[in-house]
Amino acid sequence: MGKPSKPEDLLPLTPPVFHILVALSGEERHGYGIMQDVARQTNDALQLGPGTLYGCLKRMLAAGMVEESEERPDPALDDERRRYYRMTALGRRVARAEAQRLADAVDAAKARRLFDRPKAGLTGGA
Amino acid sequence: MTDSLLSRWFCRIYLLMLYAYPREFRLQFGGEMQLLFRDRCRQVSRAPGAWNWLRFAIHSAADWLSTLFAERVAAVRQVSVEDCVRKTYQIVRTVWSVGRRTQPRGFVAEWAMTLIVFLFATTTLVQAYVVPTGSMESTVLIGDHMLVDRVAYSNPGTWGAHLLPYRDVHRGDIVCFHYPEDVRQIYVKRVIGVPGDHIHMVNQQVVRNGMRLREPYTQHIDSAIDPYRDDFPQAPQWNTSPRGREMFARDVRDGELIVPPGKLFVMGDNRENSADSRYWGLVPRDYVVGKPVFVYWSYDAPTDELEGWSLDHLFDVATHFFTKTRWNRTFLVPRAQQAEILP
Repeated sequence: MGKPSKPEDLLPLTPPVFHILVALSGEERHGYGIMQDVARQTNDALQLGPGTLYGCLKRMLAAGMVEESEERPDPALDDERRRYYRMTALGRRVARAEAQRLADAVDAAKARRLFDRPKAGLTGGA
Repeated sequence: MTDSLLSRWFCRIYLLMLYAYPREFRLQFGGEMQLLFRDRCRQVSRAPGAWNWLRFAIHSAADWLSTLFAERVAAVRQVSVEDCVRKTYQIVRTVWSVGRRTQPRGFVAEWAMTLIVFLFATTTLVQAYVVPTGSMESTVLIGDHMLVDRVAYSNPGTWGAHLLPYRDVHRGDIVCFHYPEDVRQIYVKRVIGVPGDHIHMVNQQVVRNGMRLREPYTQHIDSAIDPYRDDFPQAPQWNTSPRGREMFARDVRDGELIVPPGKLFVMGDNRENSADSRYWGLVPRDYVVGKPVFVYWSYDAPTDELEGWSLDHLFDVATHFFTKTRWNRTFLVPRAQQAEILP
């Protein structure tokens, strides 16, 4: 599978792929860490199963958006079978492009009054 | 950290389920997926409650099914024509070297693995069965591939009777059962006598509990009377098996067979060409496997080729699939039928 040169070629991302990239933007994580972080990002709305998570990671590895990391930053849940994943420069550009695309979509929705400003009382910790 | 029995069971089942994924994917991520699943189990068990487990189980099953399909499709897409040729060659080599395990499992072998997993799950409820003999001819033919409902006549146990669509065996039912002389084989016959019935035959006609029967489902191919076969029960003869002789000695009184408790008297519908209870005795109720539901494929081939899948048979099916398949029998339902009582 040839690596696309432009991040735009990989858009739009599926929600799991986007959330995985967001989870990896701060630090390197192993699978369970990614899963937990995605659940946190989405207020438990998106709970990645192992098949979904590793299916996405497989395609993201092939596309060059993530890579395996040699470091083992999480000593609490360490296990030699656990692999850590890190976002590549391409992955960061793709995530940025996707975030921009989503923002544009939200702007378009706002312009047509499809988007309610979130009510102050309901916003938890976004 | 100690895991509860439930989460250990979940992990074990998940390990088996992983085998349904394509080999490459499993080798690359299987270990990690197992770990992730174990962590999820621990997470769920920290917030106990049957509802949580159920939700987790449904979620995991859905995740498994959907990604299984996606990964299978992805695995197929990656295969080019020359890959196909190479893999086919590998499969042939693999099939030849079964038992020696010198070749890795190929593409089709992977699929076979998936199928085996599914079949393992389904054989407890239904079972595929191919009719090897013509003894039920006119109702089911040699080469009829049938699905057998294993639940219908299963021993209900203590609680199953209330949950399962269980019913007892009736006269006129078609049943599949372990052949008492060789329990590895499965036979299909019609039940003529249930416990307590008095049975004898006069000129190919069954007399049950003193009443002559007209059996619309039978086929008579030989009008010449063979006393042993057509005026049952007579004295045991050369082709009566030891089990058959036992039946004659124990259950035949005053020229009638009295079916003892827990046994069934079965005969083929092809009366003159059927090795059945007349020759090898009664079928224990526990030997009944189930009832045939429908014929899913009927293929015109000799008995010995249907028993195992030889290369010759595979070739025969490949070349004559459309001409030798009896299309009019597909989805045919072999029905239980009651005999009429003649005055």
